[in-house]
Amino acid sequence: MRICVRLLITVLLVAVPAMMIAAPARADSTLDKILKEKKLRVAIDVANPPFGVLDKAGEPDGSDVAVARQMAKDMGAELEFVQVPSTGRIPALLAGRADVTIASISVTADRAKAVMYCNPNGALQIVIFGPQSVAIKTPADLAGKRIGITRATLEEATVPKMASAGTDIVWFDDIGATIQALLSGQVDAVAMTSFAGKTVADGNPDKHIETKLLVTTAFYGPIVRHDDFELRQWINTWLFLNTQNGTLAAIYKKYTGIDLPVLPVF
Amino acid sequence: MNYVFQFNVVWDHFPELLHGARLTIQLSAMAMALGLCLAIVCAYGKSAGPKPVRWLVGFYVELIRNTPFLVQIFIIYFSLPMLGLRLTANTAALLAMTVNLGAYASEIVRAGIEAIPQGQVEAARALGLRRLQIFRFIIIFPALKTVYPALSSQFILLMLSSSVVSTISAVELTAITNSLQSTTFRSFEFYFVATGLYLVMALGFRAALGAIYWAVFQHGRAA
Repeated sequence: MRICVRLLITVLLVAVPAMMIAAPARADSTLDKILKEKKLRVAIDVANPPFGVLDKAGEPDGSDVAVARQMAKDMGAELEFVQVPSTGRIPALLAGRADVTIASISVTADRAKAVMYCNPNGALQIVIFGPQSVAIKTPADLAGKRIGITRATLEEATVPKMASAGTDIVWFDDIGATIQALLSGQVDAVAMTSFAGKTVADGNPDKHIETKLLVTTAFYGPIVRHDDFELRQWINTWLFLNTQNGTLAAIYKKYTGIDLPVLPVF
Repeated sequence: MNYVFQFNVVWDHFPELLHGARLTIQLSAMAMALGLCLAIVCAYGKSAGPKPVRWLVGFYVELIRNTPFLVQIFIIYFSLPMLGLRLTANTAALLAMTVNLGAYASEIVRAGIEAIPQGQVEAARALGLRRLQIFRFIIIFPALKTVYPALSSQFILLMLSSSVVSTISAVELTAITNSLQSTTFRSFEFYFVATGLYLVMALGFRAALGAIYWAVFQHGRAA
């Protein structure tokens, strides 16, 4: 009995520290795991036209989706979509449900505290949209108006800062609800990307929706978890190659209708 | 996965979470009171009203009990402006919660009413009690006492389901938690703490409902 106990203690004393030292070295990086399992899990937001939408057959489509498809193909991995609302884009990644999020996440210093950005793969503008009948020409005109914005978006980070005091800002959990609030008249105006606003305006000509104000311009890029340097480096390499061969520009043009601006790298 | 929990961010924002919890309690308590009134009226209408009333109540109850709460909220919030009504999101949420609870609770109350022996009602009539008096003393009071546990559960469920009203921009605990997690990116921490707050609120409501039961049905009767 006593020998057993002693043996156990010895094993614990020797083996546990050994495992602790050895474990990090042996652990696979996320990139290793993707390549080994031949499966790339990408978090996408399909309620964010034109970056992520569901097509008529209910399949994911949009510029983010096209980028993810091409990336997985070049990686030689099967693509698995993890569909998340805009509020779930970062949590899904941090929780390990996805390896990378490709959901037009604008680069901000605050987000970079939680996740690691790859180089940008596109640019977007946040604008205030509203019906013709609502008079908004300067940020001061927002006072007294009910403005709808979507949580966990660049709008959320920028609109409250520019809005004058007395602006009634209301937060929705997804862009679909924000759009619906505008169309139903529950809000006077909304803030979203110029592309989403154009889709809404084009789809509802009777509402006479127009651009009111430019809030900000931003670049967006894929994000990975903080310690996934290998994966980030592979994605940056892929972004470099596909910027050079025009694939990214073609995808961007196809879905947004405008030319891809020169993408900065960092 | 090696996630480092940072709860200090949550404690920095704890007053905001408490404010959210207070809004949830307010919203739920008001919906409980209004919903119960609606339920009693509907239950009475369905068990003693004329045929069209019974049919109408039956339609309302089945419509609400067989459609998702989230869809009901959307319909109420997004279709009201078409009728020329632009309520704030919290008022629309209160309306949706009341309508929802009214349907579920009316069936519970009706079960209590049906459990009252017909002989008691006849005895009350023989004693010369008026229609409303019979309903007040002979039917609804004992009926509510009988179904009180089921009603309490429904009330707690309502409080918990209030977490989905943030989708129409109503402000309560889940909405505030969502905003905080989306600006601080400490989603696990915030959701853990919000879960704890919901648990505390549910237990608090249970205790409060127990106290109400004692005050109304036991203390009141003992005299």
